[in-house]
Amino acid sequence: MVAPVSDGLPSQLRRGVLEYCVLALLRDGERYGFELVHTLGEIDGMVTSEGTLYPLLGRLRREGVVETTWRESDAGPPRRYYQLTAKGRAALDRFTGEWTRFRDAVDRVLQQRRSR
Amino acid sequence: MMTATSNRLIRDYLDDFRSLTRDLPKRRRDELLGEIEAHIAEALSPQPSEAEIRAVLDRLGDPEQIAAEERERLGIVPKRAGALEWIAVVLLLIGGIVVPVIGWIVGVVLLWASSVWTVRDKLIGTLVVPGGLLPALYFTVAPVWVTREVCRGVPVQAGPGHVGPGGAIVCTASPTATGRVLGIAILVVLAVAPVLTAIYLARRAKRATVAGA
Repeated sequence: MVAPVSDGLPSQLRRGVLEYCVLALLRDGERYGFELVHTLGEIDGMVTSEGTLYPLLGRLRREGVVETTWRESDAGPPRRYYQLTAKGRAALDRFTGEWTRFRDAVDRVLQQRRSR
Repeated sequence: MMTATSNRLIRDYLDDFRSLTRDLPKRRRDELLGEIEAHIAEALSPQPSEAEIRAVLDRLGDPEQIAAEERERLGIVPKRAGALEWIAVVLLLIGGIVVPVIGWIVGVVLLWASSVWTVRDKLIGTLVVPGGLLPALYFTVAPVWVTREVCRGVPVQAGPGHVGPGGAIVCTASPTATGRVLGIAILVVLAVAPVLTAIYLARRAKRATVAGA
C-alpha cells in the first residue's frame, strides 16, 4: 500500500513513530486515555486528529505493550488507565536508542552540502 | 445546561461515527465509540458553549479518518473496487443488449465473483432487473402485452358463388386504455430500476471494505 505523502511526512512513518510516543508518555507512570490523547494532541505537529489515537491505543493493548485498569474517577464515569508492561518498556528502550541514531543520520544527510 | 444545538452537534458526530464503522467488529466498534464519548465528556467544561463543542469535535477529527485509522490498526484492508467491479456494473445494465442475454449473464458471474459486495448487494444486482435494460428495450420494441386483439370475421370467396367453410379471420392489434397506462408504468419501472441498481452497486463498491490479512 502506498503511503500518502501529502503532509510531507509519509503517514506510515508518522504512524510507526507515534506508537513509541505513547509508550514514552507512560514511562513515568500510568495515565488515563483522554489524558494520553490530549497530551499528544497538545504537542504541535504530532497528530492532526486526536480521535485517531484511540485506534492506536487499542492496537497497543492487543500487542501487550500496555495494560489497562479501570478506576473510579471523582468527576464522571470510570476511567481506563494505561501502564507500560515489561514488554512495552523493553520496546521503548530499544526504540529510543535506534531512533536517536536514525534521527541523527537523517539530519546529517538532509543538511549535507556538496563542497565545491 | 447544554443547548439543543450543542446536543445535536455531539449527537450528529456520534451518529456519523456509528454509520462509518458498521464494518468493524462489534466489540471494537462499541469500545471505540465508548472512548470517543468519554473523550468528549472529559474535554468539555460543565457549561460548554457551542464554539467550545465545535472546537473539541474538530480536534477529535473527522469520524471517517478515525474509522480509517482503526481499519488500518486492525489490519482490515479497504477493498478498492477495480476494473472487474466496474465492468460487472456496466454489463449488468447494458450487457444484455450489446450481446443479447449472454452479456448480462457474464455481468452476473462477475458480480458474484467480486468480494466488494455483500450477498444482499449481489441479490439486488441479480434480481433488479434480470437482464438489465434488456426487458425494457424488448417491451418498447414489441408492445404485445399492452394490446388487445380485435378480430373480425371476413367471409372469403372460395370460388364463384361459394362461401368458404370457415372464412378468414382478420385481427388487428389495438391498445386498450388501461393497458396503455399500465404498460407505460411498467416500462418506466423496467427502465429506471436497473439504472438505480447500477448506481447502488457503484456506490456500495466505492465504500466497501473486506477483512484482509
